[in-house]
Amino acid sequence: MSRKLNILVVDDDAANADSLAELFAMDDHRVIVAYDGEQAIEAFSLNKVDVGFFDVMMPKKNGVDSFMQIKSKFPDARVYFMTGYSADDLVDKAVKGGALGVFSKPVDLGRLLETVEREAV
Amino acid sequence: MAEETAPKARLNDPQVLLSILDNLPTSIFVKDEDLNFVYSNAAHCKMIGRSEEELLGHSDKDFWPEEAARQFLERDWSVIDTGEENISEEFVPGDRGEPRPLLTRKARLAGPDGRIYLIGTNTDVTEIKHREDQYKALTETVPVGVLQLEEDGTVAFANPLLNAYCGGDGAAESKFDLINQIKERHPEFPGTACRFETEISAIGMPRRTVIVISSGWLWIGGQQRSAIISFVDISEMMELRRINDEVSRLNIELAENMKRLKEAQDELVKKGRMEQLGQLTATVAHELRNPLGSVRTSAFLVERKLKGKGLDVDVQIDRINKGVIRCDNIITQLLDFSRTRQLNCQPGDLDQWLMQVLDEEAKKLPSAVTINCDLGLQDENIPFDPARLHRAIVNLLSNACEALVGQGDDQSKFVRPDPVITLSTSRRDGGAVITVADNGPGIPPEVLARIREPLFTTKSFGTGLGVPAIENIAIQHGGRLDISSVLGQGAVFTLWLPLVTPRREDGEAA
Repeated sequence: MSRKLNILVVDDDAANADSLAELFAMDDHRVIVAYDGEQAIEAFSLNKVDVGFFDVMMPKKNGVDSFMQIKSKFPDARVYFMTGYSADDLVDKAVKGGALGVFSKPVDLGRLLETVEREAV
Repeated sequence: MAEETAPKARLNDPQVLLSILDNLPTSIFVKDEDLNFVYSNAAHCKMIGRSEEELLGHSDKDFWPEEAARQFLERDWSVIDTGEENISEEFVPGDRGEPRPLLTRKARLAGPDGRIYLIGTNTDVTEIKHREDQYKALTETVPVGVLQLEEDGTVAFANPLLNAYCGGDGAAESKFDLINQIKERHPEFPGTACRFETEISAIGMPRRTVIVISSGWLWIGGQQRSAIISFVDISEMMELRRINDEVSRLNIELAENMKRLKEAQDELVKKGRMEQLGQLTATVAHELRNPLGSVRTSAFLVERKLKGKGLDVDVQIDRINKGVIRCDNIITQLLDFSRTRQLNCQPGDLDQWLMQVLDEEAKKLPSAVTINCDLGLQDENIPFDPARLHRAIVNLLSNACEALVGQGDDQSKFVRPDPVITLSTSRRDGGAVITVADNGPGIPPEVLARIREPLFTTKSFGTGLGVPAIENIAIQHGGRLDISSVLGQGAVFTLWLPLVTPRREDGEAA
């Protein structure tokens, strides 16, 4: 029996963020939604986040920069990225900075749910 | 009676003989040992302008100016003393006082009376001299150097142009030099008739290229063999030819430079456009993939929510998912084609990497297609950008599959019952070759001719960017894409990648 996770979904595209949140909630995970990088940092400060799914390109602060900031504060933060196109340099930076994986948008939901399953073990 | 006399006997009559001599157009005279005239025929009298009576018993000095008379008498004495015939050109005043050329022959005669006589003839050579002058004038005007050479090597005649070729001093030595120069290269010259092109030079004169035409030895004037040699200066022509060649060469060089410039310009324009297109595509990709993501997730949610409710929406959900995939593929192709980012090449085991790619991708390809592998790079390290090359391989495999089985879902549309794709690698021309061959229908020549053009497609749903994207990826690696096909036998796509990392334009390794 896998445990229930605190999942942070970060995406400035509300339809994306909300539909993913609903998907995870369906499996009884607790989901926090952030719509930009600043909110993501705030969410990490205020909550115990088990795993995060971050968009890359966002206003205010992009996903990678906010991840780097979070990582400096919470070195154990587990974060995956979702990107609309391989914004290669930023994604490389994220992976080098400790991101656990990169999903191409539109995200392959089978792979996404498998990943969540693994995180929940 | 004269009529009764035999023809030869008539000449025994001195009157007949004298009459004949008087009627000859040649001037004839006879002098005694003291060089006084003892006979003068009518032509001789006319030439000197005196009657026979005035002449006889007198000598030249009584009729000619002193200097002329002295020369005549000197020759006369020489003939009387030596007995050797003398032939010389002499000049006497003509009707209008002009010098009149005469060819004078003089000989010694021992008379039947035991005395010594000098007999002579004068032939008016005005006409001959005139002709000769005409010929000389002709040789002065023709743009050809003319040289007449006697068999003993002496120069009989050289026209002014030939003298100019020899340095202009007209000295015989300079002409010997000229002949010797030519003989060194053409030993047969000037003895045989010949014609050749050679170079001549004289001190202080520019080197010339000439065509030499030699007559070989000819009998001229029945006396001595001569060779007539003509020199046609073709230096200017050669210079013109050289200039022409140089102009032609420069023209070709210019055309090549223009072509390179045009190509560089086109490349810059293309690069500028590609960069713009790359940015545009990246933006569009981002903007479209977000809603595609929410469409996919929402369809998934709808499917799960309706599960077990007895509503048959599987077909509709499937359509949504396929639509999302198709849109995503189009975006991927646009990105593949327009990506101008420098490659991130890492040396790696290309064969091993290809096996991994194939393991991953084979699952996504129609199961009806057999994929054969013949990898022959033998652990060689090849620099390549895995992400970019991955796209090229995926494109090549999916193109081959489509050619063989379409979408793979309708067996009646299969081109053949045993569709096979062969992926092979090898070393060639200092690079690594990746070949993707299929046994499909092949590519018609008119399609093959345009297959690299962006947006060219024969499919009803295609961007026409697949092959251009593969080619771009090959070029970005410093390699190339070759495509060949035999109708009915299949198509072969060959990616050639160099073994060295392509250089960036800024000079750093990519």
